[in-house]
Amino acid sequence: MTTSHWALIAILAIAAFSIRLVGLIAGDVIRKSRLAPLLDDLPGVIIVSLVASSLAGQPVLTWCAAGAALVTAWLTNNVILTMLVGVAVFAGATLIGI
Amino acid sequence: MKHGALAILPLALGAAIYGFAFGILAAQMGFPWWGVAIMSSAVHAGSSQIVAVEQFSGGEAILGAALAGAALNLRYIGIVASLSDILRGVPLRLRLLAIHITGDENWALTMAERAKSPGIGASFLIGSGIVMISVWTGSTSLGALVGSALPDLERFGLGFAFTAAFIAMARGMWRGPQNALPWCGSFLVTGILVLSGVPKAYAIVGGALCGITLSMVLRRRNRCAP
Repeated sequence: MTTSHWALIAILAIAAFSIRLVGLIAGDVIRKSRLAPLLDDLPGVIIVSLVASSLAGQPVLTWCAAGAALVTAWLTNNVILTMLVGVAVFAGATLIGI
Repeated sequence: MKHGALAILPLALGAAIYGFAFGILAAQMGFPWWGVAIMSSAVHAGSSQIVAVEQFSGGEAILGAALAGAALNLRYIGIVASLSDILRGVPLRLRLLAIHITGDENWALTMAERAKSPGIGASFLIGSGIVMISVWTGSTSLGALVGSALPDLERFGLGFAFTAAFIAMARGMWRGPQNALPWCGSFLVTGILVLSGVPKAYAIVGGALCGITLSMVLRRRNRCAP
C-alpha cells in the first residue's frame, strides 16, 4: 500500500467523522432552540428521501415490489415481513420475466 | 444492546453483499485486504468509500477523491442531529463511538423501533451499530481477499431488500396526516433531482431539506391558527 492509499484513508476518515460531529453539535443546538420539534420530523423525511432515491428511474417491476412492500408495511408494521414480501415479489417477477 | 444486535441481522446480510462488491473494487485499485479493513472500520461510510476509491482510480488528486466521497455523506448531519435525544445523557466517549458506528440501516431501524416503543435508545443504536460496522469491515475485507466469486445476487432482489426495509421503517414513523405533505414533498423532490441527473446522495439531502421546510411551515401555520 502506497502513501497515496494511506492518505486517502486518513483524509476520508477525518472528513466522514467531522460530518458526523457537526451533526452531533447541530442536534444539541437545535434541541435547545425553538426548532426542537423539527428533530422529530427529520427521520421521517430522510427515510422517505432514501426510498425515493432507490425508486426514481427504476423499472415498473421495482415499483410493483415497492407497492407490495408498502401494503405489507401498512398492514403489519413489521420490518422483516415487509423485506421478505418485497424481495419475494421482486425475485418472482424477475424470474417470470416481467 | 443485544436486542439491537439481533434486530439488525437481516439488514446486515444485505450490507455484506455490497461490502463484498466494494472489497473487490478496492483490491483492483491496489488496496490489500487489511488496508480495506482499516478503511472500512475508520471511515464506515459505504457510498463515500465507493466514490472515493472510484475517483482515486480515475487519477483524481487524493484530496479531491476523499472530499468527493465525504460530500456524499452530508445527510449524516441530519441523521446524527436527529439522534440528539437518544444520545442525551450518554457519556461523551460513547456518544462519539455511537455516531461513528451509525449507518443508514441501524439509524433507521433505531428510529422506527423507538417510534413503536420509546424505551428503545442508545444501547439499541450501539448494539446494532457494532454489528453493522463489523459486518461491513468483514465483508469488504473478504471481498478484497477472495475476489469476484459471488453470483449476481442483486438480480434476485437482495438490493431491493434495503428499499423494502426503509418502507417498513417509514411506516413505523408515520404519525398521521400531518406527515403527508412533508413526506410527499421529500419523495417528489428527491425523485425529480435523481431523474435530473443529480447524484443520489445530494438528492436525498435536497429532498429532506424540502420535507423539513414544509414541516416547519405547517407547524407555524398550526400555531397561528385560531
